[in-house]
Amino acid sequence: MVAFVARRFLYVVPVLLAVSLLTFLIASLLPGDLAYVILGDQATPEKVAALRHDMGLDQPIWWRYLSWLGHVLQGDLGRSFRTGQTVLQAVSERIPVSLELMLMAEFIGLLIGIPLAIACAARAGGAFDRFMTGGAFAMLSMPSFLLAILLIYLFAVELRWLPATGYVPFTEEPLANLRFFVLPALTLALAEWPGIMRVLRSDMIATLQEDYIALAKAKGLKPSRILFVHALKPSSLTLVTVTGINIGRLLGGTLIVESIFALPGIGRLLVGAIYTRDLVILQGVVLLVACGFVIVNFIVDMLYAVLDPRIRHGHA
Amino acid sequence: MATLELSIQHEVAAPVRRKRKLGLLFWIASLWLAIILALAILAPVLPLQNPTDMDMLERRAAFSSEHWLGTDGLGRDEFARLIFGARVSLTVGLIAPMIGLGIGGALGLLAGYFRGRFETLVVGSMDVLLAFPPLVFALAVTAYLGQSIPNLTIILGVLGIPAFMRVARAATLTLARREFVIAAEALGASHARILLRELLPNVILPLLAFFLLGVAVTIVVEGALSFLGLGVPPPMASWGSMIGEGRDSLDVAPRLAFLPAAGLFLTVLAFNLVGDTMRALTDPRQGAL
Amino acid sequence: MTNIAAAARKRAPIFLVAAFALLPLANPAQAQKPGGSITVGLELDVPGFDPLKVGVYDAAVLTPAAAIFDTLTYLDDKGEAQPKLALSWTHSDDFKTWTFKLRPGVKFHDGTPFNAEAYKANFDRQKDPANKCRCAFYIAAVNNVQAPDELTVVYNLNDPSVNYPTLVSYPNQNAAVHSPTAWKTRGDDYNRNPVGTGPYVLKSWTAGDRMVLEKNPDYWDKDKVYLDRIILKPLPDAQSRFASLQSGEADIVWDDEYDADNIQKAQKDPKLTVHSYTGSGTQPYAFNTKTPPFDDVRVRQALVMAIDRKKMSQAITNGLAKPASNPYGDGSWVKCKDDGALPFDVAKAKALIQAYGKPVEFKTVVTATPRGRIVGQVLQQFWKNVGASMELDQVDQATIPPRAFMRQFQLIPWRIVDLADPDPQMFANFHTGSPVALANYSNPELDKLLEHARVTAEVDKRIEDYCAATRLINKEAIWFWTFQNTYYAISSANLKGLPKMYSGMIDVSRVWKE
Repeated sequence: MVAFVARRFLYVVPVLLAVSLLTFLIASLLPGDLAYVILGDQATPEKVAALRHDMGLDQPIWWRYLSWLGHVLQGDLGRSFRTGQTVLQAVSERIPVSLELMLMAEFIGLLIGIPLAIACAARAGGAFDRFMTGGAFAMLSMPSFLLAILLIYLFAVELRWLPATGYVPFTEEPLANLRFFVLPALTLALAEWPGIMRVLRSDMIATLQEDYIALAKAKGLKPSRILFVHALKPSSLTLVTVTGINIGRLLGGTLIVESIFALPGIGRLLVGAIYTRDLVILQGVVLLVACGFVIVNFIVDMLYAVLDPRIRHGHA
Repeated sequence: MATLELSIQHEVAAPVRRKRKLGLLFWIASLWLAIILALAILAPVLPLQNPTDMDMLERRAAFSSEHWLGTDGLGRDEFARLIFGARVSLTVGLIAPMIGLGIGGALGLLAGYFRGRFETLVVGSMDVLLAFPPLVFALAVTAYLGQSIPNLTIILGVLGIPAFMRVARAATLTLARREFVIAAEALGASHARILLRELLPNVILPLLAFFLLGVAVTIVVEGALSFLGLGVPPPMASWGSMIGEGRDSLDVAPRLAFLPAAGLFLTVLAFNLVGDTMRALTDPRQGAL
Repeated sequence: MTNIAAAARKRAPIFLVAAFALLPLANPAQAQKPGGSITVGLELDVPGFDPLKVGVYDAAVLTPAAAIFDTLTYLDDKGEAQPKLALSWTHSDDFKTWTFKLRPGVKFHDGTPFNAEAYKANFDRQKDPANKCRCAFYIAAVNNVQAPDELTVVYNLNDPSVNYPTLVSYPNQNAAVHSPTAWKTRGDDYNRNPVGTGPYVLKSWTAGDRMVLEKNPDYWDKDKVYLDRIILKPLPDAQSRFASLQSGEADIVWDDEYDADNIQKAQKDPKLTVHSYTGSGTQPYAFNTKTPPFDDVRVRQALVMAIDRKKMSQAITNGLAKPASNPYGDGSWVKCKDDGALPFDVAKAKALIQAYGKPVEFKTVVTATPRGRIVGQVLQQFWKNVGASMELDQVDQATIPPRAFMRQFQLIPWRIVDLADPDPQMFANFHTGSPVALANYSNPELDKLLEHARVTAEVDKRIEDYCAATRLINKEAIWFWTFQNTYYAISSANLKGLPKMYSGMIDVSRVWKE
């Protein structure tokens, strides 16, 4: 196990380095010189040149990357030129929002997806199965920006059951906090469950072909017991991976849902940083998000290894 | 984007299905796709109104003999825009997954066959691409290259590469251990021969099935990018951008959002139905599992 | 009263302003209930308050700034300066020196006394070249500020300004008075921990989310401050912002004319009130006269003549947006009898394009926002009608200034913000050699008019200068204007006491709930 962890770790470091380099390159592609953004209407060429020099923008890109990397390795991700916040402050304020949104969305997605998958797998090829597999994917064709506003009109404006927009930290008002998250999480979950369902359905159908299931059937076990007890766990390996990837993806923020429901998440932070050319924030946040993604994948791999011993031993 | 990942390994371990007739649904779906494709391809020669000509005083007009489906928020013919929108949505939706299929498929095949350092490198670079927030990528590349259909297609195509790579690699990994590959190796076949003659024909099937799902997802994601102003450049329309624009008129003229949404829904559904049926028919491992 | 106001509102926005102005007079003893709290829905995130960091306060910053900070003066309903932190003011005969007497006994929220020294420190900090503040641009006309004694502030201007007190009447990046102790001790963190003398104190603030302001118990004018608490939130999406107002989560929301459907819906809704104000600026576009086809005046004129602003307003804003034919909005004191605006004339425009002979093809920079796209497409259509072909070049907001300053454009949208005096922007936008003289156009006559207006004290003569300059600009068609700056806010009907939205500022610091 220790060797497995160590191997994964050796793999993670270059990935993160590559992400940071990619971020740096991509950020330098952005048109619009920061010096002009800062100087505004008084941007004479001399002033621009002087400011660029002061900010180190006239240095070659590799040098800027290395000096940035040097600071990062010392634990200094830098500070926004615009808000004065450090990267860590900005991220720590917003990560709870993205985390909670992601967990709730994934939870609702699994809540809808798993039972439907089991129902479909139980009668693979049947009318319900065919209807759901086709229909589920077509659900994806409802764009989140339309779905979100429809949910708001229905549940907030017409029925007044839930708030339309807003956020309070869980630590302040737990109940209100959950109410704020229902609609955005539902919007995301409605795009998540079709995938969850399809993955689990396929794996379950495969599992149900296994000999031991036939044996269980022959022994006269109840179908529901076979489905839930014997078939579900061995079928959930792919599901774990997919859920892990989804979680990693959602960590990077869901700009559209965050904007519509006015949630202060990572997505709005990142896009705001691009629009204001706040490159320190952009680079820092992308790096941290990538770390989060890698960690989640790492956990998934561990889980995988725990669930399926073959991977632990055979993958060397 | 997350949805692109859905079918990592399960497409390979495809479910067993009883052979069945194609069924009515399949034909309806195929017919719908044929109609949409024909309309999209023939749009410039069809007797349609100009999709960008505005009648600013005839905004959001109701259905009429002049404008079959009324007009949009700027007084443009909704029917013409829907058809030209299909053209854009389908172009992006078909070509972008092809990029993913080509590059991702090839990388996955090679990584799965050669293993070792090369595989680590490929999987690692794909992880880099996955760990990088896709929206940041899309924003930066659009800002740098400018907004156009080719650029949009490339962005969506590149973002799809990791998913195709995974599908291809997973399929290759299982196939590479199969008897026919081992036999070919033992007979001294070259790498190229094994890859092209033995593996590719078998890997391509799950890839194609995944491709059809990719088409559906890409069309939807293009809509999201259009909503964020990163989609097709106006005055051109895509279904996604039309839904985004129509969303501002939900109160006054809900059809402006729901007509393109219905088009998207039916097309995605049709692609999926056709894809599923074709996979069920052609899956070589059917019954083998 | 409300019925009349409602009826008038439907007819013409002019009446709306009149009706609002009448309200306090007609009903002087209106019960102003203290207590309670409101939630304000803004569009954008507030980046912070330190002028050195944020440079220019946008509409989202102004709302909290109006609650946290005081200014020397404020504008009453008639647009005249009234005492706030300054009790009185005098000027020299040449209008180049303005002396303000300060209100005694005022303290910043952190206990620092407010005095002339503190005021001067604010000014010096913005002006200091070492600080490279973007905000310095807007006080370029001020040579220095002196503090001869505890309660006297003297402004020494480079050129005469007859109405200087109106320039320090709302808490923008320059006029808001910050506590010197706070910015010195807080350093980089001051930006998000602002300290002023205003009626509300910043209690808590989560980035991208809620900002909570609580009533300042020691405020010098606390009897006129009613609410206990103000909560501000950025609600970026127009549709869900309006939905939040309808569902009662917000009491007042920022809006703009591109959201015309909702504004008009609110006007019909007795539970909601629409507030609007037309400012002194406009929304302009600049041609780059150094690049073809805009190096030919006929092309520029043709394109301007092709625009039917009324139709455009109808198409984009259901007719809410007010057409502009010169850079001065209704809220400006510059009114031109003759601004030399080119008429809307498709036939003539076509003829001019034909006279030019070559095909007219160009790109227009637009912001990659729904607003930018819709305006761009409408212009595209107008120009197509006269035989010119325009392509949209969508860029994000941050790309526009660099593109403008480096002249990497053919046609670019710009802004004329509501400054009380036209000089800073007119001079910067049209005088030869200024970084913002985007048209790359040089005309000694125009320069002379702008220079003359700058050093002239008499208002009539200045108006003449500015109108003459406008005629020249319109004739040469180096810039054109589409609409006047008009600001909107929608509130629930029981929110009262909102002052006019000068400069687009939603000032909720003295409102109350009925």
